[in-house]
Amino acid sequence: MRDRPHKESIMKSFYGVLSLILIIFMFLAASILLAGPATAESNPIRIGEIDPLTGKLAKHGQEIHEGILYAIEEVNSFGGIGGRKVELFSRDDQSQPEVAINQTEDLLYREKVVGLVGGYVDSLVGPISELAAKHQIPYVASASLQKGLTLGRKNPYFFRVANLDGIVQPLCGFLIQDLKPKRAAILFAATPGSTEFGQQVRSCLLDAGIEIPIFEKFRPGSPDFSAFLLKVRQSNVDVLISGGFFADHLVLVRQLKDQNIRLKAYIGPWGVAYPTFIEALGEASNGLFGMCAWNPGIQIAGTEKQSHDFVGGFTARFGKTPNTTTMHGYTSAKALIGAISRVSESGNDLSGENISRELRSLDLLLPMEHLQFDKNGDPMNYRQVVVQIEKEKMVPVYPAERKTGEVVQPSTN
Amino acid sequence: MIILQLFINAFSLGSFYALVALGFALIFGVTHAFNLAHGEFVLLGGYLAYILVGQMHFPFLLTLPISMLAMIFVAVLLQKLLRYVNEPYELNTLVVTFGLALVLQNGMLMLFSADYRFIRSTAPIIELPKTQLVVTQTQIILILTSLLATTALYILLRRTFLGKALRATIQDREAAKLAGINVRRMSLIGFAIGGTLIGLAGPLYARTAYLYPSGGIEATLIAIIITIFAGVGRIRGILLGGWALGIAESLTVYSLGTGWRELVSSLFLISLLLLRPEGILPRRMGANG
Repeated sequence: MRDRPHKESIMKSFYGVLSLILIIFMFLAASILLAGPATAESNPIRIGEIDPLTGKLAKHGQEIHEGILYAIEEVNSFGGIGGRKVELFSRDDQSQPEVAINQTEDLLYREKVVGLVGGYVDSLVGPISELAAKHQIPYVASASLQKGLTLGRKNPYFFRVANLDGIVQPLCGFLIQDLKPKRAAILFAATPGSTEFGQQVRSCLLDAGIEIPIFEKFRPGSPDFSAFLLKVRQSNVDVLISGGFFADHLVLVRQLKDQNIRLKAYIGPWGVAYPTFIEALGEASNGLFGMCAWNPGIQIAGTEKQSHDFVGGFTARFGKTPNTTTMHGYTSAKALIGAISRVSESGNDLSGENISRELRSLDLLLPMEHLQFDKNGDPMNYRQVVVQIEKEKMVPVYPAERKTGEVVQPSTN
Repeated sequence: MIILQLFINAFSLGSFYALVALGFALIFGVTHAFNLAHGEFVLLGGYLAYILVGQMHFPFLLTLPISMLAMIFVAVLLQKLLRYVNEPYELNTLVVTFGLALVLQNGMLMLFSADYRFIRSTAPIIELPKTQLVVTQTQIILILTSLLATTALYILLRRTFLGKALRATIQDREAAKLAGINVRRMSLIGFAIGGTLIGLAGPLYARTAYLYPSGGIEATLIAIIITIFAGVGRIRGILLGGWALGIAESLTVYSLGTGWRELVSSLFLISLLLLRPEGILPRRMGANG
């Protein structure tokens, strides 16, 4: 007697569930039919970007981001890649390596991006490159220098548009051939790239018989260099090479002037050759030496129109003039877009392996460099120019084939 | 001469540290509010001065009273906000002001962008005759304002009835309440005076260092370290602590190198905490003043 109603209730529940499944199935089928076949529009190509958009490196992170964003908008304005729009997923690493790792994982696991781009300083780029390798996703770093990231291990998915040789070689050439100091002081930041930079510059200058009485490391963001500058004054150096960043130069240059220290040259490979740096320091910036791979009016031969169009388009879009860091972001995004386009044209899947293969054989003429990667992912033709600030304008003074003016001495007066 | 120059620079650096710390130390001493947004407040004062000098062409010295007045208002707003914080007060104010610091950082990022900014000094360098010593106008302003602010605060705390009430609040809030002191009003006054000092530090920060939206963390760290150096509520100790740190850092950089600065400063701080947990001044000299 008790079994029968129980069986009926089980059957009722079974039919109920079955009806529900059927309704859901019909609803899904209807929505698929109504939506029609998947279009290229609804299936964009997803690219991930990790940059320090906040925190102490935010200035340069924002600049790289704008360069990348401009490259993405540019390709989309031409109809995207193979009719598919390119979608950029930007993530802020807050200038902290642990956040960079979390954000990269988010882009790889959740957003399922086909490639990564961006990054400023090797302490942030290094962890991202490790994750990219683990997931077999190509990563084109915008600003990375540390040799260990490309030469120290095999990472077929890691590429970068800048390298240390492109800075050290022209700088050493300029110092040894043109400036010919007797004694130089080297100050470098406690970051992997800047430390390697300091060591390599010291090595090349010592080989050329130039004395290095001061070779010191410092923590970026230091509020005072006056005690260090007293040593510079005491040691009678001709040249001070400072591997610090934009903000460090702001303090160093002001204190150099305040202490009335005269040098043949003050050289800041990073942070000096920026229009905003010149604007901030005004006349005090005159005579200083900086380095850049590109700036408006400073581009490699044959890219004048491209460079001019970029400056015009970027200024119209963002309301400000692009600089060398912006161009690093743009170049890295162009590299990734170029490789994806070639995979798409060949009809292959946008897999990490296929995109990386295309990146290795890429050959792009861009305003910053003739972009080709070597087998380690380093750029083959990246060379910066030495500029001197004269009348609050950047004037390329080295190498000879790119210089447009002569050195004015002394550098700090 | 080099050593003399080193000490001039060290005193100027120490005065800068003391000015950055004074507002934090006073607010923490009087109200026990651990203001992690202190550095952001200093930056706000700095940005205000930057706009006044850069865009409205105000003379730099005039930006000091304007910034001080503006920061009184901001500090009083903070006091009103922190009135809603429950016990444990110190810990909860730390959490609230940490959140506030993040909000302010993002606000400043939107308003001023991530660019680095500073106030240019156009004053010529002063070369002391028959020596190779040089002093800048900024260094003179730093040393003088830190001395003036410390002296004024010392007189206020030691020679006035209000100061007595404030000191009583710093020493023991419950006992002060029992003695009939309106602790809440003292808290408001503490924030207002703290705001004045923050307002004084802001323009000088913009002229000595540089401004950027995330730069407040460094100013907050300086303030916390100097307050620990001095001992809570010990105003003269702030200036002495600033000078001690400035001299220690300058001597370290000069004798060992720039890379040793942070290590030696940290060792100095740890030694002081172990040997003189009550602060840099002896207790009889330093009590609340």
